[in-house]
Amino acid sequence: MKKIALKALLYILTGGLAFFVVTFTVYFFNLDMKLTSAIEPFLLKWYDRIPRNQHL
Amino acid sequence: MKDLKHLIYFEDLLQEAHNDLIRQAQEEGKKCIGYMCENVPEPLLNLPGCFSARLRAPRTGSIDVGTYYLTSFLCEYSRAILERALEGGYNFLDGMVTPDGCTMLNRCVENMELLKAAGKDKENFFWDYMEIPMKADYNGLNLYVLQCKNHILKPLAEKYGIDVSDEAIRKAVAEHNHICELLRQIGDFRKLDNPTITGYEYNVLCLASYVAPKYLIVDKLEETLEELKTREPDDKPWFKARVLVVGSEVDDTDFIKLIEDSGAFVCADRFCYGSLPGRDPIELTDDEDALTQICRQYMYRGECPRYMNTEKMDGRREYVDKLAKKYKADGIIYQQMKFCDPWAYEKMMGSHILRNRYDWPVLAVDRPYTIGSSGQMRTRVQAFMESIDIKKIQKEEQ
Amino acid sequence: MAVKKFNKMVNPEKIKGDTRYGDLYKPHGKVRKRREWRGVGDTLYDYSRWLGIMLTLGKFMSKPRNIKFFFRYRWMANYLAVPMMVDRFTQGLRGEYLRMTHEEQDLIIIDVAKLLNTMARADRRTGNDEEFSKINVLVDENEMTAVMMGFPNLKCTSRETPSTYVSVLLNQHAMEHYIDVAQEYGLPGDVCPMPEAEAGVSIDDDAPIFGACAVQCNTTCDGSLLGNGVISERLEKEDGIPVFQLPAPLRHKEDDVQEYAAEEIRRAIAFIEEHTGHKWDWDYYFECAKRVNFATKCRNEWLDMNKTDYPQIFGGNLALYTETNYMAICGKVPEFERADRRLMKLAEKAYKKRKMAAPEYRHRAIVWGVQSHYYMDFLVWLLNCWGIVPLTDMLSCINTEMIAETDTPENREQAYYDMAMLTEEMIMRNRTHGGYKVLLDDLFEFVEQYNADMIILWEHITCKALDGMHGMFEDRARELGVPLIWVDHQLFDPRVVSRQGVRDQVNSYMRTVMQEEPLDPTLEVLDDENSW
Repeated sequence: MKKIALKALLYILTGGLAFFVVTFTVYFFNLDMKLTSAIEPFLLKWYDRIPRNQHL
Repeated sequence: MKDLKHLIYFEDLLQEAHNDLIRQAQEEGKKCIGYMCENVPEPLLNLPGCFSARLRAPRTGSIDVGTYYLTSFLCEYSRAILERALEGGYNFLDGMVTPDGCTMLNRCVENMELLKAAGKDKENFFWDYMEIPMKADYNGLNLYVLQCKNHILKPLAEKYGIDVSDEAIRKAVAEHNHICELLRQIGDFRKLDNPTITGYEYNVLCLASYVAPKYLIVDKLEETLEELKTREPDDKPWFKARVLVVGSEVDDTDFIKLIEDSGAFVCADRFCYGSLPGRDPIELTDDEDALTQICRQYMYRGECPRYMNTEKMDGRREYVDKLAKKYKADGIIYQQMKFCDPWAYEKMMGSHILRNRYDWPVLAVDRPYTIGSSGQMRTRVQAFMESIDIKKIQKEEQ
Repeated sequence: MAVKKFNKMVNPEKIKGDTRYGDLYKPHGKVRKRREWRGVGDTLYDYSRWLGIMLTLGKFMSKPRNIKFFFRYRWMANYLAVPMMVDRFTQGLRGEYLRMTHEEQDLIIIDVAKLLNTMARADRRTGNDEEFSKINVLVDENEMTAVMMGFPNLKCTSRETPSTYVSVLLNQHAMEHYIDVAQEYGLPGDVCPMPEAEAGVSIDDDAPIFGACAVQCNTTCDGSLLGNGVISERLEKEDGIPVFQLPAPLRHKEDDVQEYAAEEIRRAIAFIEEHTGHKWDWDYYFECAKRVNFATKCRNEWLDMNKTDYPQIFGGNLALYTETNYMAICGKVPEFERADRRLMKLAEKAYKKRKMAAPEYRHRAIVWGVQSHYYMDFLVWLLNCWGIVPLTDMLSCINTEMIAETDTPENREQAYYDMAMLTEEMIMRNRTHGGYKVLLDDLFEFVEQYNADMIILWEHITCKALDGMHGMFEDRARELGVPLIWVDHQLFDPRVVSRQGVRDQVNSYMRTVMQEEPLDPTLEVLDDENSW
């Protein structure tokens, strides 16, 4: 029982650590913004294609 | 056509803000109250003992000092007025009433006050600012009446002992209406297929009625009306098309002249300083005080784009459509003085709506305060005339 | 009035982590190379708040209708830049300053996410929840929402806040498309680009359609009044949403306009009741009034603190938070009261410790005029690059008076006047209108009160109300010997004056007139023209 609990704790810690390493890397190296800035031009092209009833 | 007998006389009145008739009226002991905006009820400044002068800056040259104080982003009208004020051009004034109509005029007058650009050595001189309603309704009317009491009648009575009674107001309205009737009758000659008055001539007469004491121009206007009744027009109309000019402040007769020199006839004038609706008579009844009636009529007929309720916004375009029909216009010119915010929006909305919903040919232009002989404007008006011509031909073919 | 000389103050505490902030910028880049290292504790704190922001964004995007909403409206693309906005506003901040800024910024983000969620749900093109749509009352972007303080079950929703106002905070180029659309339809380029962009959104068919009714207001200027006309043309005539125009008097300091203003408030409330079927609730009104007073009390205390040598809540965050809390929230959201308490606690703590936000304080400045929206974090730059402390700004100098907060028959009548006062004294227009005293004279009074030795004067070049006092500002500053730095900008359009163009005006003044060297030379020239 104790072994299972320790194992679960290990998994949680490892998972937590992996989550921290990955997200902190994304955070620190600004990867989230780098990704979204790469997406933006495609998105703008998409908006250009939407039919609009443009008038006053 | 033969020249109008008094045209040069009226043109001369427009050469200076401090014209001969203002001098004459002041010599007679009357007080001159300046204003700049159509939202100031004019008869209230023309009570017995005082008269109004709507400020212009004729023959404007450099406006460098005005631009220093107001920057190059405020309309040239406000800059030119400030410049002229700093030169001492409005020292003749005995008071100044300014509505917080548009920001630019308001700031212009605030600068005049801060820089003491008028009222030197006049201990009773006053600067007064009014709030003007932004919607035409009962609440707006209450505000308007209160503001006129506090910011026009009160200073006039306290500073100069002017009689501000209901009776005096009614007398001022009667005089005001007489001028309006004369101008309306003169203006009606523009409705003729072959008109006996040009848009320029009418503009000169109308403008003079804003800048000179009214009682001193009545006789000349009456004579002009009589003259027009028998004036022989040219054999054929001299213009290609009749246009209604709509928009912001125009006190530059050269602008109307330029339009007419480009082949158009300005058959109606729906702009600040114009006669529609500025020279509509004020109808008074005996069952209500005159002040309330004046304010109501100013508020409901006002075509200033700062009125923001839907009825007023729609009404502005309906009014233009109605005028265009009444004066048999072939097209509409929406003009806006550069940097005028209210008319920038109204010009965009009005020109689109009149074109698309009411099916009028519309030209939308912006212009400086004094246009002189702008080739660019001439080209645009000429192109507009051609487009009206083409449309006429296309309609006939259909 | 005499301007006191300010002696430079050096921070006894060393700033942990990065200090050369300009090095984080990528040449021609949209985003920065990496986030700032602020020492272990502060970096981890900032990271945790970043996680929170990502969670807020993730939650928003987890709903299919929100995804549909995201792909329907062009301006939604700007929300890709939310985390970067926070990075910009927190540049160089540590300890309590970092925490205070996050308190303000993160709460605004949550509030805007809720607003977007509301819009996506109600919008006829996406969620199309008709019943939900009926409890929404539309208001302008820059509008005081006091008339909604007595409607606990209605939502006060501004379509323009997320589409234009917040968008430019996120991405400096956000409104260029809409400005161009409005200009294609004949609107000149010399009007204020804010109402111009709002009109552009409407013309471009990019405004969500929903709501029981709308209350428009002549918020700040002639442009905003007239821009409403463009919006209502579609809203009222095509979308069938009734519009009430609420005129707030311009000469708001005069006694003889107050009855008019109060009556318009009564009519606006009656209009909302008529079109929503909801009745005005005085209990809720006075509950909100208490929160409005609490926010006013806090703001007054923060500003008092800023008059001392150790200002705590200042700069771009103060303006942004004040604008949100004062106008959009106006006592209706209890979470803002809790945030006010937390901010107060942090500020008092930092004040007791005599904390400073930068390595040096070289000048104490009053920031006046209308701030550049595409560069609202300029005040952080001012502090980091030149050591100029922006003590307060024009947008934060708003109402300082308490309103009636107990329910009595007299106070119910007073409430209309209080709401009118709050509406008349909306942010920006409380200074740009109301006569020259509130704009010109008050500025120099603030210089004295705050012991400032400098004025940073934002000149939003197409703001006619501000431009109209240009020469008088110049004359008065010269007369009183106060250094005044003009900072020209075009509010929503960085194509007219770029961010570097904004910075250059300060750089050249500081170098040539003040003969000073920057605190952080890496910030003097930044290649951020393409940046969000």
